[in-house]
Amino acid sequence: MKILFVDDEKDVEALFRQKFRKEIKSGEIELAFAFSGKDALNILGEENPPKFVYVFSDINMPGMSGLELLEEIKTRFPNIQVSMISAYGDSENYDRAMSSGAKGFFTKPVDFERLKKEIAEMVKNQ
Amino acid sequence: MILINIISLFLLYYLKKSSGPEGFPVHLNRYFNYGMVASGIFIVLGATQLPPEFLFELLSFALVGAIIYLILNTPELEYQKTLAITPLPIIGVQLLEYLIETISPSIYDILENYLDAAGFFALIWAVTMWLNHRKQMKELEIERIFLKEQERQLKATAEQKNQLEALVAERTSEILKQKEELQKALNHLQSTQSQLIQQEKLASLGQLTAGIAHEIKNPLNFVNNFSELSVDFLEEIGEEMAKISDSPEKENILELLEDVKSNLVKIRHHGSRADSIVRSMLMHSRGGTGSMEPTDLNALIREYANLAFHGMRANPKPINVDIKLDFDEKLPQIKLNGEDFSRVILNLVKNSFDAMRDKISALGNEYKAKVEIRTKDLGDQILIEVEDNGPGVPDEIRDKLLMPFFTTKKGTEGTGLGLSITHDIIKSHEGKLEIESKVGEFTRFSILLPKIKSTEKSS
Repeated sequence: MKILFVDDEKDVEALFRQKFRKEIKSGEIELAFAFSGKDALNILGEENPPKFVYVFSDINMPGMSGLELLEEIKTRFPNIQVSMISAYGDSENYDRAMSSGAKGFFTKPVDFERLKKEIAEMVKNQ
Repeated sequence: MILINIISLFLLYYLKKSSGPEGFPVHLNRYFNYGMVASGIFIVLGATQLPPEFLFELLSFALVGAIIYLILNTPELEYQKTLAITPLPIIGVQLLEYLIETISPSIYDILENYLDAAGFFALIWAVTMWLNHRKQMKELEIERIFLKEQERQLKATAEQKNQLEALVAERTSEILKQKEELQKALNHLQSTQSQLIQQEKLASLGQLTAGIAHEIKNPLNFVNNFSELSVDFLEEIGEEMAKISDSPEKENILELLEDVKSNLVKIRHHGSRADSIVRSMLMHSRGGTGSMEPTDLNALIREYANLAFHGMRANPKPINVDIKLDFDEKLPQIKLNGEDFSRVILNLVKNSFDAMRDKISALGNEYKAKVEIRTKDLGDQILIEVEDNGPGVPDEIRDKLLMPFFTTKKGTEGTGLGLSITHDIIKSHEGKLEIESKVGEFTRFSILLPKIKSTEKSS
């Protein structure tokens, strides 16, 4: 199962790859990383239809924001699930994300247990 | 001779009438009345020719003489002097005629014509004098009226002056009162202004704080996450190492890994400390979340004061504190953000405990620590007081108490955010936080909460 993480912080890649080391090793999931909204759309557009099942995106990013990316993905690739990960867990961001079709909303610092559970469920349903 | 008496009667009558509004003294009026009666009797007697003519004439002269004497010698009749002179020639001629006739009738016969002529001139004189007198009297009367008018005007002016003075005094006192009110309003305005400036400073500091917190949060998350991960990996390494046969090198590696692990645990520990500070800082920007629900304030205070107490007892360095709750049991429910407001109670009570702990270590068992929490219904507002008998707050730091990161606590005990957040929460409830203190005796935090908030009033 291919999952794309979108965050302008490059160290996110190392962190997530280490956190999901076992799952990646076992071939359960495959991770890809994009560092901007535009980057993410390029990666998703490489294949048609894209093999990605799930996208996790930060909200506050330079250029295209995570919420804009969410809307874009939902129009272009309605089958891909999108969840937001943000340091700003205020109701305004939450409401906008949910009404734009986000599957979930995670606040930073990320609760990895919850994230792992979410991904495990996704894998099981495949 | 009747002429003399008629003159007497006329004079008396005229005098009596001329008395004017003030009137004459009683004795003068009495004289006039007696004189008039006497002259009347004399006229009747003269007409009947009853008494001896000699006596009658003498009496008549005496009467008229007395009247003239009265006019000339009474101060009240001073202005009638010309009246006394008017009949004088007539009386003189009559008197002369009378004397001559009495003493020597023969000479009288010779002089009769001259005497008649003299009588005639005397009459003309009298008439002239009379008219003159009348004119004078009229002038006097006019002058009197004029004077009276002047006096009246003066009186009116004086009265007006008094009225104006009273009015001026009244206005002056009104202006003074207004001035005082304005002064009071100005003072109020100035103190409000300085409060606003202070609050504005605090608010901008709060925003800055929140901004900084956000910026720190992301790198801090990495520190925490990577250190946590590394600890996990070290455990995995430990598991793998067990499979390798023992050697001195392996022992050395294991020792070093143990050190690295303990270092990572320290990084993680201090990272989470920083994280809790950052989270407190973020409380500042958390305006408007959480809803205001009608809350039983007494119950909330009781619960959280209790929680603070047990939390303190369970933590290192517990102290003995007497907590006294003095609640207004008739307190109505008030709209509060319970989650936020419970922090206010926790912070204030915890602050008291920390302050009193210092006093206990300074004074020993002599000192009995006490916290008193009071609620009171003030009508439009509700008053909450948290008072301790701790060391008190010196004046020079009282203003700084509400500033973020200001702390009197040593080392890592306080973040300096507790009271700053408390103040923010109270402000978001449109309340006021006041601090009173006397060094060595007490510190009292007073919270004033409006029962109805302005946002509710307008809707």
